[in-house]
Amino acid sequence: MPPRVAVKNLKKGGGLFEGVKSNIEALIVGIKYFVDPKRMTLLYPKEYPEHRPGYRGFIVLKKDVCISCAACARVCPSAAMKMVRVTEADPREPGKARQKQYPVINYQRCIFCGYCVDVCPVEALYHLPFHDITYESLADMFLTLEAFQKEPLRPVEKEGSPVVYEFDESAGLVKREKKGGA
Amino acid sequence: MMVLETLLYIIAYPPLWQVIVIGLLGSFLTAMIAIWFERKAAARVQRRIGPYWASPRLGGFLNLVADMIRYILQEVIIPRTVDKVPFVLAPVAAFVVSIMPIAFVPLSPYEKFWPVPDMQYSLLIALAITTVPPLLAVIGGWASNNKFAVIGSLRESYVITAYELIFVIAVLSAAPTFLTLNVLHIVEAQSPFMWLAFLNPIAFLAAFLAVLMSTSAFPFEIPESEHEVVAGPYTEYSGILYALNMGGAYVRRFIYAVLISLVFLGGWAPYVPPSEGPLFAIIVPSIIVAVKALIVVLAMSFLRAVYGRYRLDQALDSAWRLVLPLALIGLGWGIALGLIM
Ligand code: SF4
Ligand code: SF4
Repeated sequence: MPPRVAVKNLKKGGGLFEGVKSNIEALIVGIKYFVDPKRMTLLYPKEYPEHRPGYRGFIVLKKDVCISCAACARVCPSAAMKMVRVTEADPREPGKARQKQYPVINYQRCIFCGYCVDVCPVEALYHLPFHDITYESLADMFLTLEAFQKEPLRPVEKEGSPVVYEFDESAGLVKREKKGGA
Repeated sequence: MMVLETLLYIIAYPPLWQVIVIGLLGSFLTAMIAIWFERKAAARVQRRIGPYWASPRLGGFLNLVADMIRYILQEVIIPRTVDKVPFVLAPVAAFVVSIMPIAFVPLSPYEKFWPVPDMQYSLLIALAITTVPPLLAVIGGWASNNKFAVIGSLRESYVITAYELIFVIAVLSAAPTFLTLNVLHIVEAQSPFMWLAFLNPIAFLAAFLAVLMSTSAFPFEIPESEHEVVAGPYTEYSGILYALNMGGAYVRRFIYAVLISLVFLGGWAPYVPPSEGPLFAIIVPSIIVAVKALIVVLAMSFLRAVYGRYRLDQALDSAWRLVLPLALIGLGWGIALGLIM
């Protein structure tokens, strides 16, 4: 059965007077906000947000803890995590080498979903509470195994001071408590 | 002292002062201030800060200078498929013609400071010239040989047909009120505070709306609405040619605003220029007019923060059914005023 066509009669605005009135109201709201000094902007490089613990930012590997189960690489929804095979000294049999797999990350693909951290059975991965780092080339975004174990520096920490902010719905503004810094 | 006086006379030489300084530099500066204010006002209304880091003391004004430099240095790409001569000439000609009307209106009551010898029909001539630049925009769009450009040009021609008529009717309502087509007489009749905007607010409102629409001021940028037709008539343009096109809209708005401030806002009133010395006879009154025009332009820019964009049919509907009758009422009111006064 073809869909029945129903002509909907939307209620028109109440004529000329109503139109003029609502236009004037819109203008008044605009002017009210225009003179209102409240702002919601964080002046980013000068003040940067200090995120709460549990924020899903950059990921760091604790290589000694990793058991090479590859769960992180398998769970990754955007295929950002890959396992690489390395040859290293075997801690249990001194003097012998062994082959082992470790994850490395590609930040071109990572969406910071945190599944890899959640799934890791031995908590070999952990988040840093930020993800505002820029890279100079795309190649830099493929982390090597060495780079993946280091906590990257956050460049904005050199320039600004950390703030904690929250939205106040009723007043619609950002409340800031600065912790230390200038 | 002599040197200074001579220098002042050179600066106040009518074509130089009125066309280059007020017309070109004034509209240039107005365009920059208007774009800056547009961004700032929209940001304030949305509780943001807007342009800031380029120059925190100036509220980010240098952002615009950086934009300008970028446009100037950008590569101008002329596609192989366009009709080259009109494609390049149209924006340049549109920009130049946009400034022209200012050469035909008086910015001083004294004849020696006029760029043209006679102001008898100045209102008509200025109005006639303001209708030319949109045609050039249409030519540029047609020459681009691009479907978005053609659609944009078509929309442009629809919008200007509707709104330019309204602007002309609204501004001409000053003629029967003061029984003259001479802008000088219109300005002098309004001095000091009998401004036509107070006497005939309906025509003023209609003229304001018409300028807003016909120069595709931001919330009403129907011909070049980005989400529908890329950049309308200017789709194929890049670099300085694109800047001329976009800047041309602001220049036209400024020139329209100069006309509005002369006809509706009393020109250089309440100031009464003395006859001697170029400084007080031409420079001060013309700056008063330019500042009034700037305020009109900024008021238009503010509306960007409040209104959404109209669809083409809505804009045309309100033009023919709402604003055109408004302009006609204004004209009738103007005639009635002329009969009373
Ligand atoms: S955070 Fe998500 S996307 Fe990034 S590596 Fe882990 S699982 Fe993959
Ligand atoms: S899930 Fe944890 S233990 Fe398993 S490979 Fe990844 S990091 Fe290593």
